[in-house]
Amino acid sequence: MINVIKFAYQPGEHEAEKASNSYLMSLIAIIAGLPLPIINLIATIIFYLGNRKGTFFVRWHCTQALLSQLSIFFINSFGFWWTVSIIFTDEIITSKYIAYLITALIFNLIEFITTIYTAIQIRKGIHVSWWFYGHLTNLICKSGS
Amino acid sequence: MKKILIQGVITIALFFATWFLLIQIDWVAIFKIQKVTDETEEKIGELFWDMTQSTENENNSPLVKNTMDSLVTKICLENKIERKLIKIHVLDKDEINAFALPNGHLIIYSGLISNSDNQEELCGVISHEIAHIRLNHVIKKLVSEIGLSVLISITTGNGNSEAIKAALKMLSSTAFDRSLEKEADIKAVDYLIKAKINPEPFANFLFKLSDKENEEAKYLTWISTHPDSKERANYIIEYSRNKKVKFEAIIANSTWSKIKEKLKE
Repeated sequence: MINVIKFAYQPGEHEAEKASNSYLMSLIAIIAGLPLPIINLIATIIFYLGNRKGTFFVRWHCTQALLSQLSIFFINSFGFWWTVSIIFTDEIITSKYIAYLITALIFNLIEFITTIYTAIQIRKGIHVSWWFYGHLTNLICKSGS
Repeated sequence: MKKILIQGVITIALFFATWFLLIQIDWVAIFKIQKVTDETEEKIGELFWDMTQSTENENNSPLVKNTMDSLVTKICLENKIERKLIKIHVLDKDEINAFALPNGHLIIYSGLISNSDNQEELCGVISHEIAHIRLNHVIKKLVSEIGLSVLISITTGNGNSEAIKAALKMLSSTAFDRSLEKEADIKAVDYLIKAKINPEPFANFLFKLSDKENEEAKYLTWISTHPDSKERANYIIEYSRNKKVKFEAIIANSTWSKIKEKLKE
């Protein structure tokens, strides 16, 4: 799931702190965002926009954090609106709904733990690339741009 | 690029596989959701009925009670509905109205019986209300109109009597969604046919009341809360057209006449 690989260069102390913060931002957003899924995304987008002119290491990790937030956003949004429809419309609580909530919870938990681990590693200047998201970030984030 | 695609697909597949596996477990039974819902409905139903009973006059004449019981029993029996789930009450009121409360309480105003030309018309309205009960429309409407939190606070004793009164008024004098009304009408026709009751008088009853609408609107609560009576009458006739059954009367015509006499007193 998570690969510790060598980055193109050794990031400095200040860079590592900033890059690590991008994960902390999504972490705080996860806690606040569970009931309102849009908060995660907004917090991470703001951080991403604020650092898009940062160094390659910072940009790379902001992008990885943003991408992972994006998929969690879809999962949580669907669960959120399903819950709203149960409360306000004819929709009733079914096993399918509860199973979805549990699945969403599992994926949120995985994301949560991975994010904490990554934030700690990045703070130490160790480059961590996630399964799927790491490769996707490589595609989007180029060192020269 | 190919690697990213494969990993992406695997991630999505993993999500749906987890969901699919978890669906196999009967969570509703594990969390006893149905039981909680049933208990809540039972409590609300009793609270609503107690409130109605304390503010309105219930008609306790054995003739009226027994006749209504015969009609409901026949409809329930032929449609495999547990009889004790439907609790019928007749209230002495001139308005033409009938409505369902949670937990199977079915309220009929004496004005509805007096204004029905025959037992089939009344059975049509009763079947329509039973359909609302059986299709769980009552709780659905309460939840969507006053919200789950208010409902739960009512059952836990925190709801004041004003909240109960407002909810009661809403149930007795506002319509369900158009789609729910149609669903109840169609179900009512099924109930009537199975109980060998002609559904045509039910449609005629709607026609008749829609014509009366302007003259005595204030007594026509049931029709004013059930809009588009003509349209409803048309689809009831259309739906029941091809169902050929030999119809039978549930109660003797003399009993029906006696009831109408009794209610005139």
